[in-house]
Amino acid sequence: MEATDLASRARRAYELGRFSRALRVAPFVVAAALVAIACGRPVAMTCALGCALLPLAVGLLMRGGSAGRAVGPGLGAGWAALAMPLLLRTAGHACFGPSCMSLCLPACALGGALSGALIGVLARRDGGGLSYVVAAAAIAGLSGAMGCSLGGAFGILGMAAGVVAGSAPVLLTARR
Amino acid sequence: MERLERAELSRLMARLADGDRAAFGPAFALLWPMLRSFAERLVGSADAEDAAQSALLAVFARASEFDAARDAAAWALGIAAWECKTLRRKRQRRREEQGAPLEMVSSQASPEEALAERDLHEAIRLTIGTLRPIDVETLTALTTGAASGATFRKRVSRALGRFRIAWRARHGSD
Repeated sequence: MEATDLASRARRAYELGRFSRALRVAPFVVAAALVAIACGRPVAMTCALGCALLPLAVGLLMRGGSAGRAVGPGLGAGWAALAMPLLLRTAGHACFGPSCMSLCLPACALGGALSGALIGVLARRDGGGLSYVVAAAAIAGLSGAMGCSLGGAFGILGMAAGVVAGSAPVLLTARR
Repeated sequence: MERLERAELSRLMARLADGDRAAFGPAFALLWPMLRSFAERLVGSADAEDAAQSALLAVFARASEFDAARDAAAWALGIAAWECKTLRRKRQRRREEQGAPLEMVSSQASPEEALAERDLHEAIRLTIGTLRPIDVETLTALTTGAASGATFRKRVSRALGRFRIAWRARHGSD
């Protein structure tokens, strides 16, 4: 067998190995979607968010580098944003009307800010820089959106603003 | 393999594990000759090419699992030893099915000595097969001289202890 042929087979084996390893993230994404659905989030929206999150996470893990390393922390941080509004819901708060704006929106923003701060701390520890923060924030944002859809579009926007605000110090430092 | 080459291979495998495709070419260039000569020693020149190829593919398929704290050469040789063992088992089974005559281990040994030597090798191989992959990797690194250091000596001591226990369990004596 030619060395170039063997090298291309080895390269294929490497990429397939990375792909199968990246697929290990799927149960965590599915679990996040199932938790959101179990807490009463609309199935169609949750599935749409999960369908966006899964290929993004698998793609980033396959690509590797600092963006790939950010997937795990991003999912972990996303759970904070996901859990906040769902906790309110399970605690019996009915998110409807003006009471939603007074409690759900701040909960989403707080969850997002917690996620952002966690991403910031982990990004600083990893030294991955801007690509790490952006990848982790995207993953956390999509995970959190599954729970923050409770507060409607404003809930998701509040959570996204929280993620950006929480990770802003690291983003600013990385740009310098 | 030289110490510098081993360190370079560990660096390259760590980069591959992190997804840096630029490390693929240099890692391939270092791994292929190492695995080919290792397979030649383990399964003989006739089957070396096949064993080395499957070992190489297995190493790259598992490259993203590589832990940068470990020695890449010992890790790759552990995988290669497993692939060689699998290949030998396949060939052995095929020979048994075809009823082929016993293969001589050494051309200079008498048939009885060759048979005894082959039986001993087979018994060692089967006993090693019952050990955990980390012990197989350690014993492989020991036979090839692929690793050294205090931690490695402790691992060797533990692996040999477990090998003795497994040997006694199978054959009743040291």
